[in-house]
Amino acid sequence: MQFRETIISIKNLTKTFGTGHAAVTALSDVSLDIEKGEIFGVIGLSGAGKSTLVRCINLLEKPTYGSVIVNGQDLTTLSDAKLRLARRDIGMIFQGFNLLMQKTAQDNVAFPLTLCGIGKKESRKKALELLSLVGLKDKAKSWPAQLSGGQMQRVAIARALATDPSVLLCDEATSALDPATTDSILELLRDINRRLGVTIVVITHDMRVIEQICSRVAIISDSKVAEVGYSADVFRKPKTDAARSLVLPPGERLTGLKSGGELIRLAFDGSTSDRPVIAEMVLKFGQPVNIVYADTRVIEGRIYGHTIIRLPDDRDISIKMQSWLTEQEVSFTKED
Amino acid sequence: MLNLVFSGFLETLFMTLVSVAFAYIIGLPIGLALVVTAPEGIKPARGVNAVLGVIVNILRSVPFLILLVAVVPLTRLIMGTAVGSAATVVPLVIAAFPFVARIIEASAKEVDRGVIEASLSMGATTMQIVTRVILPECLPSLINGAAIVTMTILGYSAMSGIVGGGGLGAIAINYGYYRNNSQIMLIMIAILVIMVLFFQGLGTYFSRVSDKRIN
Ligand SMILES: Nc1ncnc2c1ncn2[C@@H]1O[C@H](COP(=O)(O)OP(=O)(O)O)[C@@H](O)[C@H]1O
Ligand SMILES: [Mg+2]
Repeated sequence: MQFRETIISIKNLTKTFGTGHAAVTALSDVSLDIEKGEIFGVIGLSGAGKSTLVRCINLLEKPTYGSVIVNGQDLTTLSDAKLRLARRDIGMIFQGFNLLMQKTAQDNVAFPLTLCGIGKKESRKKALELLSLVGLKDKAKSWPAQLSGGQMQRVAIARALATDPSVLLCDEATSALDPATTDSILELLRDINRRLGVTIVVITHDMRVIEQICSRVAIISDSKVAEVGYSADVFRKPKTDAARSLVLPPGERLTGLKSGGELIRLAFDGSTSDRPVIAEMVLKFGQPVNIVYADTRVIEGRIYGHTIIRLPDDRDISIKMQSWLTEQEVSFTKED
Repeated sequence: MLNLVFSGFLETLFMTLVSVAFAYIIGLPIGLALVVTAPEGIKPARGVNAVLGVIVNILRSVPFLILLVAVVPLTRLIMGTAVGSAATVVPLVIAAFPFVARIIEASAKEVDRGVIEASLSMGATTMQIVTRVILPECLPSLINGAAIVTMTILGYSAMSGIVGGGGLGAIAINYGYYRNNSQIMLIMIAILVIMVLFFQGLGTYFSRVSDKRIN
């Protein structure tokens, strides 16, 4: 194990909106440690409390109880002025991009710098450097309305990085983008993480986002952290119902057929290279299997995802198939 | 006659523009304060918000002609007289600043909450958000609002002719109505209509060219 340093430490965080009967507890006693330099994912269904959690990290939302320590500083104890200074070290991007629509791309990126009192010329110069970092140097003079969603998010990323933050918070940053654009934005985030060493916290409801860039993930369910672990582990062997329902949405679990042989779930965590395991198995045993559910993708030549198959009625063949899968080092679990 | 009409036009223009200026000097900060201190604003302050809201609502609900007469003592105190176009600026401003406050409030509320949050996440102060986010972002809407305010004040200034205000309204009343000169009346109406159309056109044009969300 390499030495790890905690950069964000969330302790017993509780957030309640409203009072009395109308009170909504969005977060209930959440504790999490995020390590310096990692890409940490937070996933959960809509309304689980993800946005509230990330907004508590830069105190856009004031915790009802608990503390948020970033770079050794407990933000909940800071004065307004000190908090504003601390926020310069925490960039944030959003689902809706939130660009200033009446400013050019370059001035959007320069904006956080001018807020700190840095001169216009110097701010613009740095903004241009950041725009080239995100691949949009030629769009410096464009208005946000002239940019595509992916380009707007790139501008927003450049803007969030303007003050050289050590943390970048992303609240559903790719949820408004199409799959190809999502991939390119995730690629950019990974690149930024590697090149600049920025710690990134990614909030999403989409498991694919976690798979693609997060080293570790926390699953938020009903205002609580249900599970935290390495993405591959959580993805392959979800321990909690909350995790299972995210990895495999419940609607799809039921599309299975009532009768037939054993139902097993194959988990691909990237350790199997891209080869047609199921097809090979079918050919080898000369018996068809029924694919009940499949959600896999190939990333850098390795397979990630899940497939649920119904093995043949014949118990003998079913057992042989299972041991063959074990030989092939394909991990699977029995579904009920 | 032409002289009379021309000086009436200038007086009306003067009354209107000076009143617009003062109405904004008072109304703009109040409108912005209403937005900032609102429960969903960036610095909620229930008391301040309620007090400002009440002042604005009361003044807004008094019909202009009544306000015009009611503030005569105040007008005398400030201007030394209650007649003439300069004196009329006082009731015009009192009637218009609450309107300006509401117009500003409406424009400022159009600014996307997300943009304000993004600015907060960058460490912007409340003042920076008002001056560098809210105002520039809603500029096209502010310009449109200014055109509406100007046209409203123009209408009020004409009305003030009834009780001794100057300008086109006074000419229309004194010559057109009391002396039953329908030609003068029509000319006054025509000039007022042209002025309204002019301000409207100006507002629409500048609002459009300043808006970078379209084109
Ligand atoms: N400002 C707010 N006022 C009242 N309730 C809120 C507010 N923000 C969030 N909530 C509630 O808190 C819960 C969690 O919301 P959120 O953190 O936005 O969830 P997620 O981002 O996971 O979809 C929801 O029930 C939501 O209705
Ligand atoms: Mg959310």
